[in-house]
Amino acid sequence: MSTVPAQSPTTPVPMAVIKPWHTRLRERLFGYAIRVILQGLITVWAVTTFTFFLIRLMPGNPVDIKIDQLMQQGIPYEIARNQAMGLFAFNPDEPLPVQYLAYLGNLLRFDLGNSITNPGVRVIDQIAAFLPWTLFSVGSGLLISFALGVTLGTAMAYWRGSVFDNVLTAIASILYGIPDYIIALLLLIVGGVQLRLFQIGELRGAVDPGIAPGLTLEYIGSVLKHALLPVSTYVLASVGGWILTMKSSTIATLGEDYIAVAKARGLPERRILTAYVARNAMLPLVTRLAISIGFVVGGSVIVEELFQYPGLGRSLLRAINSRDYTTMQGIFLVISISVVVSNMLADLMMGWLDPRIRLGKGHRD
Amino acid sequence: MKRLLIAVLALALVLGMLPVAAQDTALEAPEGTLLGTWPYVLPPEHNFNSFVTTGGVNTNLNLALYRNIVQLPPALFMWATGEYVPLLAESWGFTEDNSAYEITLVEGATWSNGEPITADDVVNTYAFGRVMNWAHFAYISDVEKVDDRTVRFVFTTEPSLLAERLILKEPIVYTPSYGDLVDRALELIANENATAEDYAALQAELTSFRPDELIASGPYTYTMDDVGDAYMTLRWHPNSIFSDDVKFGEIRLWAGETEATTPLVLSGELGHSTNVYPASTIEAFQAQGIRMIALPRGYGAALLFNHGVEPLNIKEVRQAMAYAIEREENAFLTNGIGATATQYMAGILDEQVPLLMTEEGIAALNRYEYDLERAAELMEAAGFTRNDEGKWVDADGNTIRLEYTFPAEFADFAGAAQNAIDQLNRFGFDITARALPWQEAAEAIRQSDFELSVWSWGSASPFASRHFFAPTQRFNYTDLPEGQRGINFEMEFEWEGELINLDTMIDEVSNGLDAEEQRRRADKVAKIINELLPFIPLNVELSIEPLNEDLIAGAPPDGDPILQNPAGGGDHWMIWYILNGLVEPTDITRNYAG
Repeated sequence: MSTVPAQSPTTPVPMAVIKPWHTRLRERLFGYAIRVILQGLITVWAVTTFTFFLIRLMPGNPVDIKIDQLMQQGIPYEIARNQAMGLFAFNPDEPLPVQYLAYLGNLLRFDLGNSITNPGVRVIDQIAAFLPWTLFSVGSGLLISFALGVTLGTAMAYWRGSVFDNVLTAIASILYGIPDYIIALLLLIVGGVQLRLFQIGELRGAVDPGIAPGLTLEYIGSVLKHALLPVSTYVLASVGGWILTMKSSTIATLGEDYIAVAKARGLPERRILTAYVARNAMLPLVTRLAISIGFVVGGSVIVEELFQYPGLGRSLLRAINSRDYTTMQGIFLVISISVVVSNMLADLMMGWLDPRIRLGKGHRD
Repeated sequence: MKRLLIAVLALALVLGMLPVAAQDTALEAPEGTLLGTWPYVLPPEHNFNSFVTTGGVNTNLNLALYRNIVQLPPALFMWATGEYVPLLAESWGFTEDNSAYEITLVEGATWSNGEPITADDVVNTYAFGRVMNWAHFAYISDVEKVDDRTVRFVFTTEPSLLAERLILKEPIVYTPSYGDLVDRALELIANENATAEDYAALQAELTSFRPDELIASGPYTYTMDDVGDAYMTLRWHPNSIFSDDVKFGEIRLWAGETEATTPLVLSGELGHSTNVYPASTIEAFQAQGIRMIALPRGYGAALLFNHGVEPLNIKEVRQAMAYAIEREENAFLTNGIGATATQYMAGILDEQVPLLMTEEGIAALNRYEYDLERAAELMEAAGFTRNDEGKWVDADGNTIRLEYTFPAEFADFAGAAQNAIDQLNRFGFDITARALPWQEAAEAIRQSDFELSVWSWGSASPFASRHFFAPTQRFNYTDLPEGQRGINFEMEFEWEGELINLDTMIDEVSNGLDAEEQRRRADKVAKIINELLPFIPLNVELSIEPLNEDLIAGAPPDGDPILQNPAGGGDHWMIWYILNGLVEPTDITRNYAG
């Protein structure tokens, strides 16, 4: 159906300056990018503000928690409060708006402040120390499980109904339903305790003590060895989801007309599977992958604790337990930014992959 | 002649070297690794400051155990005998006029860097302590050097056994690591015109200060290179007074809390742990043949009442609840073999009752043996009757509906609460449970925003006043900030014909040096608590610590008096056993390379 507006035959038609197609495309892409980035910035500010107030609504502040611990030792309240107030760089009586403005002011100077419960330790240093390990372990797990899931899901859909499909569907469904920390415990108890496949102590942490960091075989080998259990956990915990999603997406794609046309044209099976089926079936997974990448930064608190992997999740758990507001804020900010950025990337990527999204519904060129 | 001269010189050389060789042998590090655990923190948080409670030496070395073998306190308390045994001090005691307390350091004691440990180190440690508002200064006004090895602690008011314990249990710190902060602390204390702001400013500097090294008085120390993700290592050094005695060359502390150390215990890679394990995990350890050592934990689970809520403000109702709960069952569901039913109901942990009360005082206590008939009589005496459904109702026919909040994360308290609810509901109450994050549950108690709750009672202290403190004072308006009512238990009331202040009575129960007089005071407070039940002490918890005898040899047998020392409070049996070489490596851990 044509959507060209009717024009009066008496009205002279102005000579439109028709820009080349690539210029128009660039302008639209640029406008789209600006919109997405602005949305991202507003989202980060909103999330930052929300978390700032939310964590202060949690029962107990750092001083209260310390007072509680000291009173547990039989120290009267007044003495406990005096001690606690001296230990932390935090004044619980300072009005919230004042704290918030100070926080925003520091943020604008890219200063995340110092840890409240550990005066003298910069939050940015804590994040810098722990973030790389989480990025490495959770990120590797995500990419491996994505690759495995896409490959197996496609194959299962293509040979649907086969023994291979049925067995893997059952396994994927089971894995999908098991939380990561249960898988971590099973790996430790079954592999380390019952089957004695490895010494648990040797695989804890991120690297063997005494090995100097560097691009040496020894260091890289040690890092890979220590990442084995957490990465395996993340892969096992998430691969089921990727497999099942990819399988259902592939089945839907297999029913599309263009697949029938491709077959009718006599294209080879391999080409149909890779260039036509897998490529189109992956579209919804790409968005999900991009969003998952954002959540990589948050790590997995319990898994890192179980393997004593020095990631950001483990650090966040400590900060929450001691109500270390500044450290919590810093980590939440990094998580927020990563989620927002990955969503922006997903938006931009989908806009590039699917012009209907980029140009908006009903728009025509 | 020349040959003779050479022979004589050679002999002299050999003889001259003999003492050196002997000395070298004595200074060699012992073989073996002690495999322990503690949830230390990683750099950049990890630091060597001994005066902060987060990230510093306390956090990283377990204040109750390993810190004491790195930074020695003057003495260790043996709970079975009630006596102190020497660590860094060779003698201690009250001065003749009881106006002060003196300790004399062991002669020849040195730091790990070889420097002598002197009275100045003690004075300087306490200078920092004063800046950090230590509780010690509620009892002592001055810390003075008497001679190179003797320090005098001058009492603010009357002499106190509580102050003695604080003094003898405080590890002494090598303060030159803190630069000029020591001199500034001493100057500040000497300055009579110093203001609170001056103290706060120095406090802020001290808490932010990060010493470069940890100089130890005990036989082990470590550097930041020894702190790994998976474990940290305390290394033996030759300069401590205990260096010749210890049998382990290093102590490996696996990182992590209970959930992270459980697999290590099961896989036989962890020799001793102070973590608190749930009952089912303890059974799994025992099935692996791992010995479990039971120690007093220094607290138990208590049922807390909000005395501002009807009918919990009625003594008979509280007493009825005490009779209606079978505490043996409650203890088992609190922590399996790691808890025992409260026997004396005195407000003092059972194992301490015979030491802190007189026989007459103990005999006068109501044990509240499980007795549903007696409980029903008390409810009826308070004006309640049972309705057709067997629920207790008041004169207007209203059932007693209550909410019982408990901290969701604490498995022991959650178990105690849920079982108490079950038992009380069977008896005829209508109580619903509500789990809260522990910080919120504690805050609800402080704010008096609860009806029934669960928290700890008792203390890992040899003093009755400390036992009575929790929760009667700790969670009550007398010790909480203004506006917070806590359990809302009235502390001033008439008792046996006279107006009493229970708050003051508890504060004063352990004052002075007369142990018999302290016991008599404790009798009176215990009787009041036993009768009025500001809370119900449901059970006494034990610390059930796994000890793998394939990895550590020489641990005390069950029933050994030293196992009466509690797990917390800095008197752990392992301190004494490590320092005196009573525990030693096995064939597996002698040359441990795991």
